Amino acid sequence: MITTANRHTLTTPTDRTIRVEREFDAPRDRVWRAFTQPELIAQWWGRGNKLVIERMEVERGGHWRVVEHTPDGETHGFEGRFREVTPKDRISRTFEWDGMPGYTILETAEFFDAGEGRTRLVSTALFFSPEERDGMLHSGMEGGMAESYAALDRVLAGMR
Amino acid sequence: MVQYSSTLDSVFAAVADPTRRGILERLGRREASITELAEAFDMTLTGMKKHVRVLEDAGLVQTKKVGRVRTCTLGPRRLAAEAAWIANYQQMLEAQLDSLGEFLERTKGDRP
Repeated sequence: MITTANRHTLTTPTDRTIRVEREFDAPRDRVWRAFTQPELIAQWWGRGNKLVIERMEVERGGHWRVVEHTPDGETHGFEGRFREVTPKDRISRTFEWDGMPGYTILETAEFFDAGEGRTRLVSTALFFSPEERDGMLHSGMEGGMAESYAALDRVLAGMR
Repeated sequence: MVQYSSTLDSVFAAVADPTRRGILERLGRREASITELAEAFDMTLTGMKKHVRVLEDAGLVQTKKVGRVRTCTLGPRRLAAEAAWIANYQQMLEAQLDSLGEFLERTKGDRP
């Protein structure tokens, strides 16, 4: 399905992905800075709401956390970790809302030069339910887990 | 998992529409009849029935007919909470892009 509102196009390419595409009248460098510099993020991410940026470690594995304050006095915390940071090109991070712990979204933003000083942004959100996360833990990581336990056994044996 | 996945597909289809997101948000506060929803969203009864059916097929809304009134409530709790979360996220993402567009417009020519 495709919906176009204002200047962006929204599609759902898989059953758990939202993809939004939009062009901005600004070069990639400016769009990248708006995405990664705390004092700039604070000026748009909250959509007019006050935004307190508690952490913004823009590097692989870095932690980010922001708290949004709505006019009716509510606060909403959002946080996650950066997975990939390739300046002016691509940024990928996990996203969780305090109100739905365990429901993780993998957000990826890609920046393309659209010519004439414009940038095309492609933002993708992949949703994971807690069940899906557990499913991954049980499948791919079992081998690694068994090895870790074996190593733990050895450490414990040595402590006696 | 397979069942979950196909359910989520219909959840996405259901929440892709702003009116249906509004219906979910409203039903999250309290139940309402189709007539009340149609009035609230300034829509014909037939139009509202179609939206409600899509939400019902996705398991997001349950309806119950008592006499001549069909009452709508949010569907099974976990799924409904999840759908509302996805709907909120999508709304937030779209509003953020508008906000970013305005910010870039506003700061054009500024040098940090």
